[in-house]
Amino acid sequence: MFEKVLIANRGEIACRIIRACRELGIRTVAIYSEADREALHVRLADEAYCVGPGPSARSYLNIPNIMSTAVLAGVDAIHPGYGYLAEQAHFADICERHGIKFIGPAAHTIERMGDKAVARETVRQVGVPTLPGSQGPVTVDAEALAIAEEIGFPVLIKAAAGGGGKGMRVAASRNELGKALQIARSEAETAFGSPAVYIEKLLEQPRHVEIQVLADEYGNIIHLGERECSIQRRHQKVVEEAPSPAITPELRARMGEAAVRAAQAVGYANAGTVEFLVDRDGNFYFLEMNTRIQVEHPVTEMVTGVDLVKQQILIAMGEPLPWRQEDITWNGHAIEFRINAEDPDRNFMPSPGRITLLSPPGGPGVRFDSGAYSGYAIPPYYDPMFAKLIVHGRDRREALVRARAALMDLIVEGVRTNVDFHLRLLEDEAFQRGELSTDFIERRRLVSAS
Amino acid sequence: MAAAAKKAGEAGLLNLDPIKELIELVSNSNIDEFELETENMKVAMRKLSAVPRAVPAAPVAEQAPAPVAAAPDGQAAPRDDDRFVQITAPMVGTFYRAPAPDAEPYVKVGDVVEVGQTLCIIEAMKLMNEIESEVRGRVTEILVENAEPVEYGQPLFVLEKL
Repeated sequence: MFEKVLIANRGEIACRIIRACRELGIRTVAIYSEADREALHVRLADEAYCVGPGPSARSYLNIPNIMSTAVLAGVDAIHPGYGYLAEQAHFADICERHGIKFIGPAAHTIERMGDKAVARETVRQVGVPTLPGSQGPVTVDAEALAIAEEIGFPVLIKAAAGGGGKGMRVAASRNELGKALQIARSEAETAFGSPAVYIEKLLEQPRHVEIQVLADEYGNIIHLGERECSIQRRHQKVVEEAPSPAITPELRARMGEAAVRAAQAVGYANAGTVEFLVDRDGNFYFLEMNTRIQVEHPVTEMVTGVDLVKQQILIAMGEPLPWRQEDITWNGHAIEFRINAEDPDRNFMPSPGRITLLSPPGGPGVRFDSGAYSGYAIPPYYDPMFAKLIVHGRDRREALVRARAALMDLIVEGVRTNVDFHLRLLEDEAFQRGELSTDFIERRRLVSAS
Repeated sequence: MAAAAKKAGEAGLLNLDPIKELIELVSNSNIDEFELETENMKVAMRKLSAVPRAVPAAPVAEQAPAPVAAAPDGQAAPRDDDRFVQITAPMVGTFYRAPAPDAEPYVKVGDVVEVGQTLCIIEAMKLMNEIESEVRGRVTEILVENAEPVEYGQPLFVLEKL
């Protein structure tokens, strides 16, 4: 049993984790930057410590200060949330060495799945379908060309140390390949510290469908079904739903099985997500595995009834999974809308500032996960997402209707947000029919109405 | 202090602004005790010195530890004049006044320190970090007790610039 847990994060996910800890009777320790003195997670936690100035690199990524705080506060475990240190293997390692439980998989698992080229190869070897592409990183241009010609252009060049939609370049033909490789390598080095890149076939209008897995520390691994995350802007998810309108129960079973095999291949423990691309013929291909809780976890929670964050903590405490695969059922349909402080008239540029009024929606099947409140000043240093609006309905149709009502009930004054964008998305016929793909926003030209 | 102000307010004898101003002036000065008597009211104030932070890591585990969230209130009142400088903790750790348990403290109140002179140690995970003065000045206040945990930005010393 953990007595105390430190949450190495901020914003809505920090609040989410504090909530789960409270339900489990665990005391919470928050960390915050000087810019986050007024943050909600600081108020909700039992204890809170300042770990640095505003910029994340010196606060939320400041491992010495965070570990020092953890040791001084006498915590049993650290929950890293998502982003920040959640997938930094060496942070998990440092926790282990200090006798503090890292709530997530083991450091070596994070490392293995963190190298995207290695991850691809690892899962391929256990029969998980992967996109045609290089078997590992490509270092020699001639090799890259040979692979690209074999799998066919266009190809995608991806940073092996990257992820989260960043560090990717398209090469549409032989002529573009050399230059694209050069740029991709240099971007990869700058952004992720390693120039290693690998090559994958670029699918046309694929769907991004991911499978949630949950594993205890005794080798029991189950999947909790899929989430459709195709609505993305610049590779950042904006709307997610469960189940996917395109996935049949049979396909779910096959993808779920593949995801579990991928997790088993690395001896996975705790919560994780296996991301796939699904083409128009229903073929699915492994993209990457995220060894953390994800932003969009609530939609899975709403349709399965499983509290994923609570499970993460229980698993880390050594509890076995209380369910077998056949115990998991799916009920109804859930959709999540990320609410960001963005200016739609300036190409969705972040728009920090003070929220003068925040009135969340409510009612049956409406969930609002947020780190904001009326009077809260959104600092400029961090992600512009300050809330998630999740709705659940008996079916997709009801979820869509409920989503519209809830978005209209939501009042946010003082900062610009993307709420209008979500309302327009709901009016789009293709969205209503569930005809989604990762280029949806551009294809349907869902840009600012003004 | 707040009690005095409240009482005066309740008595309806004066508006609170002069009292608030008085409190701030006293807070920002070196004065520890202050008393003012006029024909229709008396104000008495005593400053609590270096309020220990309610950090629950301390052995007194029985009390429900107060949330440390209200950081601005816990810090020493910022100095208004340029004459005084606060040295704050650049990291999270345990504050020590001396290089070893039985050694002399690096500085005492009243000492004059030079730029770069070590004022204290902050220990984090077995590593000792010497915290140096950024100015030449006289130590007027030491705001933290020996072996107390400190967080980032927590004021440690007040120096009067020379």
